Amino acid sequence: MRRWKSVAVVVALLMIIAACGDSGGSEETTTTDGATDTTEGSTETTEGSTDTTADSGASGDKVTVRWFIGLGAGGQPEQEAAQREVVEEFNSSQDEIELVIEIVENDVAYETLATQIASGNAPDIIGPVGRDGSNEYAGLYLDIEPLVDATGVDTSMWEDAAIENQRESDGTLVGLPFASYPSALYYNRDLFDEAGLPYPPQEYGPDGTATYGEGTEFEGPWDYDKVTEIAQILTVDGNGVDATDASFDRSNTVQWGFHWQWTTRIFQNGAYWGAGYPMADDGTADIPAVWEDEWDWWHDAIWDLGISPSQEQMDAVGDNVFQTGNLAMAATHLWYTCCIADDANGITGDFWDLAVLPAHDGAVTANMHADTFRILASTEHPEEAFTTMYYLLTDAALPLLQAYGGAPADPALTDAYLAGLDERYPQGVNWQVALDGAAFADDPSHEAAVPGWGEYKVRLGELESAILSDAELDVDAAIADAESDLTIIFEENAE
Amino acid sequence: MTVETGKGAIDYPIAPTSPKALKGGLAARQGRVGLWFVMPWIVGFFLWYAIPMVASLWFSFTDFNLVSNQPTEFIWFDNWRRLFTDPAVRQSAMVTIKFGALALPVAIFFPMALAYLLVSKSLKARETFRALFFMPSIIPFVAAVLIFGGIMNGQIGWVNKMLAVVGIDGPSWFLDEFWVYPSLVFIGLWGVGNAMIIFIASMNAVPSSLYDAARIDGASEWQMFRHVTFPVITPIIFYNLVIALIGIFNYFLVPFVLNNGSGDPGGATLFYALYFFRQGFQFFNMGYAATLAWALFIVAVAITGLLFWSAKYWVHYEYER
Repeated sequence: MRRWKSVAVVVALLMIIAACGDSGGSEETTTTDGATDTTEGSTETTEGSTDTTADSGASGDKVTVRWFIGLGAGGQPEQEAAQREVVEEFNSSQDEIELVIEIVENDVAYETLATQIASGNAPDIIGPVGRDGSNEYAGLYLDIEPLVDATGVDTSMWEDAAIENQRESDGTLVGLPFASYPSALYYNRDLFDEAGLPYPPQEYGPDGTATYGEGTEFEGPWDYDKVTEIAQILTVDGNGVDATDASFDRSNTVQWGFHWQWTTRIFQNGAYWGAGYPMADDGTADIPAVWEDEWDWWHDAIWDLGISPSQEQMDAVGDNVFQTGNLAMAATHLWYTCCIADDANGITGDFWDLAVLPAHDGAVTANMHADTFRILASTEHPEEAFTTMYYLLTDAALPLLQAYGGAPADPALTDAYLAGLDERYPQGVNWQVALDGAAFADDPSHEAAVPGWGEYKVRLGELESAILSDAELDVDAAIADAESDLTIIFEENAE
Repeated sequence: MTVETGKGAIDYPIAPTSPKALKGGLAARQGRVGLWFVMPWIVGFFLWYAIPMVASLWFSFTDFNLVSNQPTEFIWFDNWRRLFTDPAVRQSAMVTIKFGALALPVAIFFPMALAYLLVSKSLKARETFRALFFMPSIIPFVAAVLIFGGIMNGQIGWVNKMLAVVGIDGPSWFLDEFWVYPSLVFIGLWGVGNAMIIFIASMNAVPSSLYDAARIDGASEWQMFRHVTFPVITPIIFYNLVIALIGIFNYFLVPFVLNNGSGDPGGATLFYALYFFRQGFQFFNMGYAATLAWALFIVAVAITGLLFWSAKYWVHYEYER
């Protein structure tokens, strides 16, 4: 009995020690647990990380740099493979740094990273991540400008504007350009042909504006009024009646004219009508008037005209409406190329092309998303982390970009990138349209950080839901309510 | 030593202690052994329940935020003060109460009525019906919620298509602030199998002599249910009531799966548990989230305590074996 007691005591003590061990000793173990729970791929990866840490910790020969993936792209199996190859290549070329990846599923990536940060177990590098994702951790990034200056690395391959775009509002440089995702109008050729309508224009004029249907009865400025006009023709109900007809049955729509495809966040689609910042200098909320106009228009487009799908209609057909082939026009980013073709379900996605975005009040705004990598200020190895990050941004850029579907920030890589897209969509997409859209990027970005970013998104998400779900919504009153709530959010979260 | 018993003498190799001491020693020894067997659970309880609970109580007095670059500070009762002034807390509490007022009676009386039907001797194929009514309980609830999301979709759902056949224009069940609560309660019926089985067991345990006596006295079916069955099964009603009440306090899964936790329509599904989740895991305000969790715990304990106190007035244990 005494022996059994001893065994039980030892087991109990081991359990307690395992659970309560100090962070210094169990950092990587904690990460391993978290990652193992999420994806199969992460198990392998993290096993690697544990081994590596043990080696580096013991020998001190190599510095371990941890790369956290999951806030944006990077979680798909084919992406994991590409990332692993990049890591292997980097590690084999290095005798000072051991790069370790931690891949966490996007659904839990934010909580996982937040927990790591709070427990003093933060990774060195995160990414790829866009502004939206990185805003969650605003203030925690390393200013890399001193490292750029000290190392003298070449940054000439990137446009100055693209580098400046990586600065925080306080001027600190927290990243370097990697991938950009300009916007364009995706249109369904088949539906335009069926309706006997000219295709939307594919070239921006010198001031960005363009003309639709030159030489046809539909000729006119390519703006959101024109979009509304032709979207009504392209919207059809189950009886084959289009939305220009008084007998059109909105509740039985089977084909829509226009949609913000995965750009339904209202600060996102509002910015397609004009860039703006939702906070005034005095720290109160001040939603740009042009956004408010767009939200009014969108509500009418859903509920009065029926040209855009409501939440319930999206629930019915799935939120990837353009992929169904029953949506004529979709304003979205280049990352949407990820999800039109679907090999697993036999969807070739060969029915579409790109057009320029319409103007509003004589000006074009083509929202821009940009992904990059960031170094957390808590890193113990800033130089090594920077060396690694620069490798990911340059030598490893092309394989990573091809895996993620991002347009290179380095123009020299563009041709190779587009060749990959042509393989996937052989119908002859005019990619130049999207690239040209970069000249009309929203500035300030619709994802420019505001105090309390998460709460800001949730509050505007409520307004978005109301627009999508409530036919009777008094949009202006709802905006006023939201603005008042946002002021409180900004005040409570101000530094 | 030899001890005489009624069936002969027994030789003990050692001197016996008194029977009381013998019993006490053995019981104590067995108790200690048992304790070691349950030690993994005890350790787990302290590590994963007790210590985190104490820690969360501590957090509720701090401004602990997972992604803040400021050090965590002890802020005394600021979070608790915020709790009483936060309109979202009031709103989410009201949402939970409104839903509870509708869901709780259904969660008790629907499975009870179902059980009453399924113990009826005049019902043929009772076992088959019991199995059929219980079967939904073994299907993962998330899957069921997603299926109901399709069935009750205002545009393409079967429910509205069937209503259309009889000329009724069905509402948007999950996007209408009035209809969303009945719809959620309706989905909840999917999982009444467990409560139903417990009710069936309790009804089958009612002594038949009570029914015989009631019949001799000329009682009708309703009178037998009201004055015989119902009082006898009150302990089970009480049990199901407590379980259902706690389930309503923690109501989270269905609105989270249906609407991604958005609180649609118009905040009508922003349940208290959902608001807690939002503060903790979307805004990373762990200090305030801990306060919300503790407030819920206190209210749940208080109401459960009230139920236990009330039990002496309406729960009858005298028929229990």
